[in-house]
Amino acid sequence: MELINIERLLDSYFEGTTTLADEQALRNYFSGGEVAEHLVVYKPLFTGLQQARQEVSQSEFSLPTETGSNSKWWYGIAALLVVGLTIGSLFLSQPELTSEEREALAALEQTREAMLLLSANFNKGAEELGYLNEFTKGTATMKHINEFSESKNKILK
Amino acid sequence: MKQKEFLTTVMPFKDKLYRLAKRLLVSGDEAEDAVQEVFLKLWKGKQQMKNYKNPEAFAMTMTKNYCLDRLKSKQAGNMKIVHSNYQNHENLEKKIEVEDGVSLVFSIMETLPEQQKMILQLRDVEQFEFAEIAEILNSNETAIRVALSRARKTVREALIKQYNYGIN
Repeated sequence: MELINIERLLDSYFEGTTTLADEQALRNYFSGGEVAEHLVVYKPLFTGLQQARQEVSQSEFSLPTETGSNSKWWYGIAALLVVGLTIGSLFLSQPELTSEEREALAALEQTREAMLLLSANFNKGAEELGYLNEFTKGTATMKHINEFSESKNKILK
Repeated sequence: MKQKEFLTTVMPFKDKLYRLAKRLLVSGDEAEDAVQEVFLKLWKGKQQMKNYKNPEAFAMTMTKNYCLDRLKSKQAGNMKIVHSNYQNHENLEKKIEVEDGVSLVFSIMETLPEQQKMILQLRDVEQFEFAEIAEILNSNETAIRVALSRARKTVREALIKQYNYGIN
């Protein structure tokens, strides 16, 4: 860049009216080898500012305590949720199941009773059927009648 | 915001925070502490960080505030660090003279008022736009330009004075 331009840029630099690009041009000029004699006085300013940008933080940043307490907090929440859910499900699901079960059990009980009643009556009926045997016994004795009629027929002949 | 995401957001401007802190606090150790402190604060408030359109500017502002608080409590204890790298220039070679000149620039910067110090740091070292500097320092661009001009001129005067002293 021409010297006259550099001088102009320097003037605006000290007035605070240069752009970032202008300032970069100034830094480039002053970090180069050939600096006009009457401008050498500004060299340390621009090289110094450029050097200052190279300085870096040496310490490593980590978030150990933060993450530790943070995850512990989450573990606590998770454990609480699990416990809460188990207890909650126990309390909540029990009446729901029993109401259904109760109905089912009641129905089962009713059918069982009905069945028992039915079978008891059925057995009673079956017992009564025993008299049929008596009847067959009766019919067996009736064979004697046949014998009687046989002998009667012989006599009549 | 996960830790990894946080670090990828925050790490690119870590050195800028450090340099600003060091410019204000002078001590490198204290500057490191300042960065740690600011990062921890950012991490704690990481949910809000998404809401800031410019997390870098926000972090710079936090660093500025932290450092100014530190300086305030230090001044209360009357601990002012004075650097004097002004002496014994005459018999040194030219290259060393330039290097001394560089450190001279920083000792001149240390004598500036805090606001000017920060503006010079943000503009001439970190190369922020005026709008960003105004955002970081909670000021307006005109005021920033005026203070910057003043700071640059102060440095120039001190440099010329020292230069003439070295020559004569």
